[in-house]
Amino acid sequence: MHGHDLQWCISSKEWSRRDALTLGGVGLATLSLRSVACHAALGGPLDPELSIGEALVEMIDGELVYAWAFGDPRRGPSVPGPVLEAFAGQELQVTVTNTLSTPHAFAVLGTPIATKPIAPGATETLTFRAPPAGTYLYVDPLSAPVNRLMGLHGAMVVLPEERAGTPYSAPTPAVARLFGDLGTTEHFPGEPWQSDRSRVWLFGSVDLRLPDSISRGATFDMNEFLPGYFTINGLSGAFASHDPETIPKGRLGEPHLVRILNAGMAAHSPHFHANHVYVLARNNVVQENVVLVDSFTVGPTERVDVLLPFMRPPDVAGDPQTPLRDLVKHELGMRLGTPQRPLAYPMHCHMEMSQTAAGGNYPQGLVTHWEITGDLDGVDFPESELESQSTGGDRHDHSSH
Amino acid sequence: MTIPVISRMPMPTEESAAFFKHVCPPTFAGDNPDPVEPTVRIARDLVVDFALALPEGDSVPMWIIEDPEDARLGRQFPSKLIRLREGDVVHAKVGAKKNTHTIHWHGIEPTPMNDGVGKHSFEVGASFVYQFCARQAGTYFYHCHKNTPLHFEMGLYGLLIVDPPEGQGVVTRLAPEQGHREHYDVEAFWVPDEIDRRWHELGHEAFMQKCDEADPVRRDDFSHGGILNDFRPDVFLVTGVPAARRDPKIVDPRVAVSAHAGQTILLRVLNAGYTVQRFTLDLDAEVIAMDGRPLGVPPYGVYSSPFTLPARTPFQLTSAMRWELLLKPTVPGTYPAQVEYFHWVTGKRLATVRTQIKVL
Ligand SMILES: [Cu+2]
Ligand SMILES: [Cu+2]
Repeated sequence: MHGHDLQWCISSKEWSRRDALTLGGVGLATLSLRSVACHAALGGPLDPELSIGEALVEMIDGELVYAWAFGDPRRGPSVPGPVLEAFAGQELQVTVTNTLSTPHAFAVLGTPIATKPIAPGATETLTFRAPPAGTYLYVDPLSAPVNRLMGLHGAMVVLPEERAGTPYSAPTPAVARLFGDLGTTEHFPGEPWQSDRSRVWLFGSVDLRLPDSISRGATFDMNEFLPGYFTINGLSGAFASHDPETIPKGRLGEPHLVRILNAGMAAHSPHFHANHVYVLARNNVVQENVVLVDSFTVGPTERVDVLLPFMRPPDVAGDPQTPLRDLVKHELGMRLGTPQRPLAYPMHCHMEMSQTAAGGNYPQGLVTHWEITGDLDGVDFPESELESQSTGGDRHDHSSH
Repeated sequence: MTIPVISRMPMPTEESAAFFKHVCPPTFAGDNPDPVEPTVRIARDLVVDFALALPEGDSVPMWIIEDPEDARLGRQFPSKLIRLREGDVVHAKVGAKKNTHTIHWHGIEPTPMNDGVGKHSFEVGASFVYQFCARQAGTYFYHCHKNTPLHFEMGLYGLLIVDPPEGQGVVTRLAPEQGHREHYDVEAFWVPDEIDRRWHELGHEAFMQKCDEADPVRRDDFSHGGILNDFRPDVFLVTGVPAARRDPKIVDPRVAVSAHAGQTILLRVLNAGYTVQRFTLDLDAEVIAMDGRPLGVPPYGVYSSPFTLPARTPFQLTSAMRWELLLKPTVPGTYPAQVEYFHWVTGKRLATVRTQIKVL
C-alpha cells in the first residue's frame, strides 16, 4: 500500500528450520470452520486439501459480497478458511488447488512456508515441517493485501510437540511461571490451563467496493480502502456474540487462551471487560515481559495470544471470599430482557468504528462475549426463579440522519 | 457455474431475546440490586451540551457528562475527573437527562449490571446507582457505552484515577523496599483525542438498527448510509485542549508540564480517540503501569517488569490503552514532546501535536 506512514512492528522472531527438526509424525488436521477442537482425537494422516475459489458471503445486514475463499473439499468454501492445526515439527503436506482464473498462492506469514504462484486450474503440493508452537496467519500473499482482503486468509494453530503446560514449544520464563502458577497459587485458585480451553478469534473486515471492482475487472485504489463490515471468525455483532465456538465460557478459575489474528487492514484495539488479560505472544514471539492489560493493539496481519484468566471480576463490591452466587444473588436472579446469568461480558474493539455494520447499526461489528457460569468452588450459578424487572426494549425507531 | 453462497448463520430461535437485547437493550432505573455500604458517593448526569472553542475562533458541539453536585467545576470537557482511593466502595448515581445512556468504568471490573454495557444489562432510564469497589490503584476512565462510536467521540468520557490508600502524591509501582510505593511531585494527564466535525451534527441514535422484537436481525431493519465507520478527524486535541491547525503546539498548563529539576513527574497517558497515537518525549521515562496494573508488583504483576524508554523512543497506543510513566529530569531546560495521530486503516499521519516538559 502506498503512503502508509505507520510501520507495524511485525518483529517475528526469525524462524529457524533447525528448531523444528526431528519430530516426525504425519498429519495436519483440517478442522471445521472456526473449530480448534481437541487434536488428540485425530488419528492418522489428515493432510489438508485446500481449494481457492469464488463465494458470495452474506454480511450481517444481508448484503451479499463477492469473495475469494479457501475451502476444503468436504465443507466447501469459508471466510476465513478452515483452521489448520498441527504439532510443532510435524511434517505436513498441504495441497492447494486454484479454481479461479488468476494466479493465487498459499503462504504462512512469518515463516518460509509458501507455494509458488499457482496457475488457474493447477494444483500445488507443499511439504514442510510445522513451525514452533503458536498462532499463524495463512494467506494468499499475491497482490498484497488485495487477495487477503478478498477473503483468502485463515488461521494455523501449532501446538507444542509434547504435552506441555503452556501453548509454546519454548516458553519464556515469565510465560512458564504464569502457566505454572495457574491453579497452584493463592492468587490463581482454580484450575491449570487445559489446552481445550482455547479459542481462535480471526478479525476481518470488508469494504464492498473492493470485491465490486474486482468482480467487474476494474481496478481499486487501495488508498481508498475503508471497511464497512467487521467480523470475528467471519461473524459480526449478535451472531459473533452467540457463537459457541467463539465465546469463552466457564467457571471462575478456568483460564482460557485466546488466539487473536487480524487479517484486515485496520488497527484494532481489543478490549476485554471484567478481566485484564496477559499478553503471551506477539507475532510468534513469546513475551519476556508478560503485561496484564485490558486493551491492546492488533495491527494488520498481527497475531496476539492472550490468557483470559477467568478470575473473579476484582472490583465486585463486598466480601471477596463470599461466592458470587450469594454476594450478587439478586442480580443473578434478574431478567433484564434476558436472564442476568451467566455473568456475560463483552470483548470488543475500542477503535469504535469497528463496532458498526453498513456505517452504523451499533453494535453489529467486531464484538463477542465471554461468560462466567459459576463460582470457584465448581458450583454453577443457581437456576432460581427470575424476577422480571425490566421495562423492556422501549426504543421505538431511530431516525437515520 | 453458480457461485456458492456462505449465508449469514441463522439466528437460533432460543437466542431471539438475546439477539434483540444486543441491539435494543432494556431501560432500567432504580437502586442497585445487591447494595453494599459505600465509602464514597458520586453523581454523574448525561448528557449536557458543551461548545468546545477552537483556536481558530469557531467551536464544535460536544456532549459531556456533568457532576450535578458541583456547580462551579461540574461541566468540563473531558468530563470531570473522578478521584478515588484503593478500597473505596463507590456508589455512582448516574442520571440520564436526555434519552438513555450508560457509564462504563473502563478497566474497573464489577458485575454486568455495574459495568454499564446495555446489551449485557440495561440502559439507564431516569437514574441508577452503579456500585463497584476500586481494588487496584491506577489510571482508568469512564465513558458512555451506548451507540459508542458516536457517544464516546462526542466527548462523553472522563478520567478515573484510583490512588493508593495513602492518597494523591503516591503511586503504586515495583519497589519492594518501599512497599511498592513511590512519591511524585507533579502529576500530568495526556489524553489525546480527535474530532470529526461531521459526526458532531448527528443525533443520539444516529444510524442505529430498528428495534424489532419479532425478528431482531431482519434485513430491512438495518440502517444504511451511515458514516460511523468513516472517521475523518480534522481537530486534534490533548486533554480537552485543541491544537491550532497552523501551529499545532499546546502550551496550555492542562497539557504542558512544568517541574523543577530533581522532581518526579507522573505522566498518565490515555488514548481517548480513534487513531493510532504515537508519543515521543525528549526525556527518559520509566513505564511503571499499564491499564491500571502496576508492572512487576505482586501478585498479578510478577510476570512483567517496569522498563525505561530512553529519550526520543516512541511508543504507540490504540484506543483505551493507558500507560503510567515516571520522569525524573535533573537538568533544567525545555524538553519537547509530541503526539502523532495515524489513521486507523490507511496508517497515514493525520497530525502531529507538540507540547513540552519545562524543567526549571
Ligand atoms: Cu451516551
Ligand atoms: Cu472503554
